[in-house]
Parts: sequence; structure tokens; C-alpha cells
Amino acid sequence: MKKTLGILGLLIAVCVSTAALSPNFLKAYNVENITTWTSLFGILSIGVAFVIMTGGIDLSIGSVVGLTGCLLPWLLVQKHVDPVSSIALVMLVSLAIGLLHGFLITKMRLQPFVVTLCGLLFYRGFARWFTGDETQGFGNGFAGLRYLAVGRVPIPFVSGWHLPVPFLIMATIAVAAAIFLNQTIYGRYLLALGRNEQAARYSGIHTDRMIMLAYLICSLLAGLGGILFSLEINSIQPSGHGDFYELYAIAAAVLGGCSLRGGEGSILGVVIGAAVMRVLYNAINLLGIPTQLEFAIIGMVILAGVIFDELVKRLAARRRTVASPAQATPPAAF
Amino acid sequence: MYKSVFVWVWASLLSLAGCNSAAPPGPAADSATPAKAAAKPTVAYVTNGIASFWVIGAKGAEAAGREFGVNVEVRMPPKGVGDQKRMVQELLTQGIDGIAISPIDPDNQTDILNEAAAHSKLITQDSDAPHSNRLCYVGMDNYNAGRMCGQLVKEALGEAGGSVMLFVGRLEQLNARLRRQGLIDELMGREPDNTRYDAPGAEIKGEKYVVLDTRTDQFDFGKAKSLAQDAIARYPDLGCMVGLFAYNPPKCLEAIREAGKQGKIKLVAFDEDNDTLQGILDGDVFGTVVQNPYQYGYESVRILAGLARGDQSVLPQGGFMDISARKITKDNAAEFWQDLKRLTEPGGK
Repeated sequence: MKKTLGILGLLIAVCVSTAALSPNFLKAYNVENITTWTSLFGILSIGVAFVIMTGGIDLSIGSVVGLTGCLLPWLLVQKHVDPVSSIALVMLVSLAIGLLHGFLITKMRLQPFVVTLCGLLFYRGFARWFTGDETQGFGNGFAGLRYLAVGRVPIPFVSGWHLPVPFLIMATIAVAAAIFLNQTIYGRYLLALGRNEQAARYSGIHTDRMIMLAYLICSLLAGLGGILFSLEINSIQPSGHGDFYELYAIAAAVLGGCSLRGGEGSILGVVIGAAVMRVLYNAINLLGIPTQLEFAIIGMVILAGVIFDELVKRLAARRRTVASPAQATPPAAF
Repeated sequence: MYKSVFVWVWASLLSLAGCNSAAPPGPAADSATPAKAAAKPTVAYVTNGIASFWVIGAKGAEAAGREFGVNVEVRMPPKGVGDQKRMVQELLTQGIDGIAISPIDPDNQTDILNEAAAHSKLITQDSDAPHSNRLCYVGMDNYNAGRMCGQLVKEALGEAGGSVMLFVGRLEQLNARLRRQGLIDELMGREPDNTRYDAPGAEIKGEKYVVLDTRTDQFDFGKAKSLAQDAIARYPDLGCMVGLFAYNPPKCLEAIREAGKQGKIKLVAFDEDNDTLQGILDGDVFGTVVQNPYQYGYESVRILAGLARGDQSVLPQGGFMDISARKITKDNAAEFWQDLKRLTEPGGK
């Protein structure tokens, strides 16, 4: 919990300052939009967080989003496959991708960076090939299916406010992921092997199996995210859909307290990290800041947040040292 | 163990190669045809990106290729200027007989355009590069089309006027800049002058109309939608949205519908995306200004085919072949859509 305080502070600071400067920020319509986008990106971020906790990386997320996002409307509209089989098939493809990554990384001992970078190129190229580069979409149909992404559930006793359906999906996934990570032995294995894989293996943990599981979760959630993104956006360009999304996901995970060295991370932090990114985008538009400055501002705020977080941690460490010099351990390398 | 893995990898590679050769006939299969097959000249049709608009353009180019006896290679750069340059260089390397291109950033692409003009026959289509050595330009006058779009905005908002927000993929492109400027000049009631440029980022106020700003999404569809949502959130009394690239209006329409603001926020479009046309029939889109991409492709290849055989008479007077834009509203949308479907059907003319 303590680890997420810094990022939560950043989120609150950005929200409060935007709300103070723009009366439209806290309107139901705007909050619902931000929540939807946060949830969609949050699902990807939770997935990649598992991989990052093992000390790995997954660069193929954006392309998996692109592939599954094209595959679903292609199956439904062009091949007339029924919705349930289509979704099952798309999830199966994501599962296979995760298994392939896990296999190549654990059994072939290839570096995750290389495996998933090749995945990034391959899935994108494959999506462009089987669609013939033609934009895919659901047209005006499949309203029931699209409800998963654009649906809004009224909040009881609060009139005018709704919960976007993607938020409910993301929240369910986040709770399940948090329980898995914190309350089950396997979650502890995952964190342990991220800190020191050899030590974990020597203490009897099937590290290969756990790493494979992490990549499986990551690709599965990327596939699910891809489905929801395509349902939300409705027209999917095979060459560009999901481009760069892996970096947004990784940034949110790292912002939320995952260490790229592995062994650390919290699901709540990751979700808050995803929210910070989306709120920043929204704030730039609402405050009338020139959109050309978008990336510059987001980069700057995130960097400032991470520096602040690091300073707070050091201060806390120093206080502990002063308070109990007897048990003091040397602070981590600066 | 490892032996079996290698066998597996090798087998999957082989099966992939198999998939490739079984590819259905289409643009990809056409481009695999050797350039020097028979004595047929080969010309290239280079777009500025990947979009349904260009699929129609490619159909026109291929139809002209059949009619005038040339091979046509269609190239759609997915990643902007860098990709387009690479594709043009590759075409020059293979000794292409003529190139029709829609330059992404004409002012800064003069080098590669002149390189292409020096080694092949170069014409521009859809978006012009007046400072390059291109032989002619096939397309519409984007500034006039922008003014047409402005007339639609005036009709949509009526006597009372109102505020207008513009959405476009990229402002680096000359066609985007000219459309936008034509639209602004029409709303501000200025004399036609296509060299004027109001920089984005500031409100432009006229007597009845206010152009709030121009939002660019760099072809990210998700962003195109969230920018429209943000505009609805920021300007509760927004009068009209204008989407200047084909995919922008459908994204604005989605945002308007989700906010339940149909009819309150007018939507004026550019180009003929299916969702835009359906929106016009449903009454949620006021109208659109359409180009004729089929004709761009057709005329470009017709001119290149003539040039490749040494016939200079195919070049239009003054180096500009005007394929003018049209306004589509509820009155003529159904008829236009039917014609479009006929053109884009496989084997359609």
C-alpha cells in the first residue's frame, strides 16, 4: 500500500489541479470517458505487470491488440462466425501467443526482449496480411457485443452517473490479479523468482512454469484488451490499431511501482498508473494546452512523479535508519 | 529436445511460406508480378497512408491499368513520411516507368520527389507538391473543397451561427491545411486566398462563427475518438464538429451519439466513409464533401501509361487536372452510395 501512495498522490494532484482550472473536468460525461479509457489501458497494464514482476518484458502487446482487434470483426462480419465462437477463437489465439512466448523464453532460453520484439513485428504483419490492409469494423451491428466496451451501468442512488462496463471488467480482473499475487503461494513464487530466479529455483519453485504463466496472463489480457478496444473504437486499421500501446502499458506498470529489475509491483498501483496517463491526456485537452506539447508534458509530469516518489522513499529509509540504528541495514545503492 | 524444437520451428516457417503462396489474388499478388513481364510498362500508385479511401483509389488505378495496358503497383505507406520515401526509393530501384504519389509532407519531401522525377515520370495526385519537378497534379482544389465544407457548416448551423471544432489526422499535409483554411475563410466571410494560413491553437472569431481549434490525432483512431469526447466535455454548447479526413467524422459521430447530443452538435464531414453516409441517411450527419478517389487513380494511371509510351499529349493544360468535389446531403446520399458500391465491388467499373 505504501508503495502506491506516491503515485496516488500524483493522480490526486493532477485531478485536483485540472478540476480547479476546468469546470468541465468533473462532469459525469468526462469522468465516464476517462474511466473507460483508463480501464482499457489498465487491462493491458495489469497483464504486462506480471511479466515485469518476473524481470521480463513484453513488447508485443500493441501488436497483439492489433491482431485480436482485427480478428474479431473479421470473423464476425466477413466470415459470419457466431459471436461466442469468435471471442473464444480470439482468446485462444492470444493464449497460444502467450504459450509461444513462454516456451521460447523458458525452454529455448531466448531473451524476452528479442522474442516479444519479433512478436511485435510478426503479429502486426500477419494482421495486415489476412485483412488485406482493409479497415475492419462492426458497422451498426453487434450492439449487444459492443455493450461490453461502450455500455454504461447506472450507479444506484446517484442520478446522472454511470459506471462504464469496461471498468467493471477491469475491476474484476484487478481484484483477481491482486488476490492471486498477494494471497496465493503462486503469487509469492512469482515475486520471489523476479528478485532472484536462481535462488527461487534452488528452493524448489518451478520457475519455468511460473514465467510461462506470466507471459500467458499478459498475452491473454492483451487479447482481451484488443477485443474491448476494437469494440470501443469500431473501425480498426490493421496497420495502426494498438500501435505503441505496449509502451503506455509498460509506463503505467512502472509508474505504478513495478521495478523493471523484477520482484516488485502492486496491481492497485498499476491501475492508478494507467489512470494518471489518461487523466494527463484529458487535462491537456480540457485546459487548452497546445496539443503539440502533449508528449512533452506527459513525459515531464511522469518523470517529476518518479523523482518525487524516489525522494520520499529515501527520506523514509533515512528516518528508519535514524530511528533504529541497531537494526539499520545499509540503504540500497543510490 | 533441441533437435525437436528446431524441427518444429523449421516446419512452422515452411508452413508459413506455404500460406503465402496460397494468398488470394489482390494488390499483394499483383505487386509480386515481375516488373519486366512482357514489354508492358509498370507504373506505381503511391498513397499517403492506409485507408478505405485509398482502396477505392487503387481500384480506379487498376481499372485504368487494364484499360491502357500497363501493370500497376499500389503502395500504401503505413508509417508516414519515412515509409513513403523508402517505398519510392524501392520503386526507383526496380526501374519503375512512372509514379503517381500523394506526398505526405510536400514542402519537406522535395528531395525525394525530384529524385523520382529525375529517374522516372512523376505526377502528384490527391495532394500536390507545387515546388517539386512533378509533371502534373491530378486532384481537386482542396481550398475550394474546404470552402464547400464551410458552406455546409453555415447551412447546418443556420442563421444563429455558433462554435465549430475541427478534427484532422495531420496538419503537415497540404491538402489538410488547404481544406481547413478554405473552411475558415468561408466561415469568416473572407475573399478567396489560398496562401493565407491561420495557425492552429487560437480561437478564430467571426461575426457569427467561432472556430475554436483544430485537433490532430496522427491517424490514431482511438485518439480521434477521445479528442472528440474531450471537445464535447470542454465545450458544453459546441455547435458543430467538422472531420476533415475520412475516418474523423465516424469517430465524432460515435462520441456525439454516446453523449446523446445528436442534433444538438451538428456534424459536417469530409469523404465518403460508410459510417458517414449511413449517418447522413440517419440524419445525424448534416452532409459531407466528397472527392473522387476512383477518378484520381484512374486518371493518374491513364496519364502515366501515356507518358511511359512517350505520349506527352496526355498531360493536362496548366499541369492541373481538376477532379472537382461534390456536396452530399440527405437529398443525394442514397444515390451516391449506390454508385460508390458499384465502383468498389470486385470487378466493378
